[in-house]
Amino acid sequence: MKSDPRQHALNTLAEQLGQLSPGLPGGSAWSARRHQALQRLLAEGLPDKRNENWRYLDWAELDRRSLTAPAGLHGGLAHPPGTPGLEILPLGEALEREGERLAALLPLPGSESDTGFDLLAEASTGTGWWVRVAAGVEVGEPLQILHQRKPDAPSHLRVIIELGAGARLHLIERFAGGDGEVLSVQATSLFLADGSALQHTRLFECSGESALVDQLEASVERDARYRQALFMLGGRVLRSSQRLRLRGRGAEAELDGLFVVDGQRQADLYTVIDHEGPQTRSRERVHGVASGRGRAAFNGRILVGPAAAGSDSSQTSRNLLLSPTAEINARPQLEILTDEVKCSHGATTGSLDPDQLFYLLSRGIDPETARGILTYAFCEDVVGVVTDPAVRRRIEELVAGQLPDRDLIQELL
Amino acid sequence: MSNNGATILRIENLHAGIPGRKILKGLNLEVRAGEMHAIMGPNGSGKSTLASVLAGRPGYEITAGSVTYLGQDLLAMAPEERARQGVFLAFQYPVEIPGVNNVYLLKAAYNARRKHRGEPEVDAFEFLELVRGKMKLMGMNESFLSRGVNEGFSGGEKKRNEVLQMTVLEPTLALLDETDSGLDIDALKVVSQGVNSLRDPSRAIVMVTHYQRLLDHVQPDQVHVLADGRILRTGDRTLALELERRGYDWVQAAPGAA
Repeated sequence: MKSDPRQHALNTLAEQLGQLSPGLPGGSAWSARRHQALQRLLAEGLPDKRNENWRYLDWAELDRRSLTAPAGLHGGLAHPPGTPGLEILPLGEALEREGERLAALLPLPGSESDTGFDLLAEASTGTGWWVRVAAGVEVGEPLQILHQRKPDAPSHLRVIIELGAGARLHLIERFAGGDGEVLSVQATSLFLADGSALQHTRLFECSGESALVDQLEASVERDARYRQALFMLGGRVLRSSQRLRLRGRGAEAELDGLFVVDGQRQADLYTVIDHEGPQTRSRERVHGVASGRGRAAFNGRILVGPAAAGSDSSQTSRNLLLSPTAEINARPQLEILTDEVKCSHGATTGSLDPDQLFYLLSRGIDPETARGILTYAFCEDVVGVVTDPAVRRRIEELVAGQLPDRDLIQELL
Repeated sequence: MSNNGATILRIENLHAGIPGRKILKGLNLEVRAGEMHAIMGPNGSGKSTLASVLAGRPGYEITAGSVTYLGQDLLAMAPEERARQGVFLAFQYPVEIPGVNNVYLLKAAYNARRKHRGEPEVDAFEFLELVRGKMKLMGMNESFLSRGVNEGFSGGEKKRNEVLQMTVLEPTLALLDETDSGLDIDALKVVSQGVNSLRDPSRAIVMVTHYQRLLDHVQPDQVHVLADGRILRTGDRTLALELERRGYDWVQAAPGAA
């Protein structure tokens, strides 16, 4: 164990955090939390290949990277100025202002064995954003946050979003930057009070060599509605772990996801949709494309708890393999602990439809372009849910940029 | 009947099938410019195989014979090459391609032909006007322009779309694979109108059909009866009427009639 590079990375991180801690925000409540998380992290370590939920990740690539302490990131924020009832603060300021309340609000990382990255984010809490929409406030224009990681430093980022009862918000987050030397971690906590609605567009366009572990947990209360459109389109290794908790009666979650990996890249999406309350609804649709030596995994768990009678869930996973060396592992899992629920799920993995391909060829389209068109169309099915025209355009460019004959495909946009 | 046009398609002793099954067993056919031919036959006679082999659909084996298109070896060409040289197949079962816009596909196909002929790409606005004109002919409404290829189309709409594409692309050799099946009488009239509009001294049309009723609306120069992979009989329109009256068994029972 003495030569374990991970343990070495963690020890280095602990030293750095120790030096930084007096300057980190949030008062005693948060320094205690950080300290506790760090001790657990040192004792329990990060998950590895033996852990079922992490087995597809390229650990060799991750272990090569350092876990240095938070060095901050460039932020970019676009929102309608002076919207009453909408508060946005850098996380540090929010922790200084109401650290106690936030410490009480945010659950501690769980005790399961795969929470190492939660602990890492918790131990590093300091950088990020806090957003609150007051009860009854509907924010008309989308709020856009650009998380631009610096090329030479990791950033362990936390985002906290609170929606009061009946509040509505469209949040667009773009994650960009990063480099090949470090592993970055981020954690997002979403609180949707009764009857609120959050539309959440998340675009990962990290630079080609970056490695990022993303974690998200949403608490969706009675009659609240959470919709996420997730685009995993960049980075050398990108992992997203999400848990959507449908806590109150009638709570709803929708997740539309797309990952595209080429070259040596890797995407790994792990989602848990937890139907805790009665008559909760979820719909999940994930499309994946892998070419070259790209590798991807989708692991989608649906849990229907004992109190979730009358719930309704559907999950589909469609995957496209464009080369013999590409790999996608899709694993839907359904765990139902109550009667009278409606659940459907299905996963397919294959290559392009030969009939569609021949149809295009028979119209004079060359084979490479035809494959590009069909792949693009497969992605567009998910991209189509994005309502913001500029963001949609950006996503379409990113998708098209990875496909053959992009000039012709650009015309589709 | 014009027998003066240049030969567009010549099929000689064609044997083809799928692995383990022979379907076409020595088929001969010659089609000249300006002509319209109807190939009729019972289910399983090889009609759709013939259309597929001519368009280059993968999965078929050619075991003997030749197909010449404008003096070139058609079977040696890739499907997209055949299309660019003016071969068009109206599919029996047009596929749906959600996410690919109808007009986009049509424009890409149109430009692929133009590029092949060394012509510049068509202006987007002009092209839309051209498509709109043809849509009117085919009784199609505006919503078509914004939809995905055949996405959510009824059987009849898909067939109309095939003929629409054909009228826009103006092929030299138009192949129609059971374009009339699954159409109600109104759609059949519209589709026939589209096919008739394509008749041209420089063009050849080959229709594959199971039913005689299409021939109430279009006037082929020659009617061929295909059975068991060969053309057993060739005649004019009256052959189709006779078939309608006497059934396919009559032809199959009269060997050597071709």
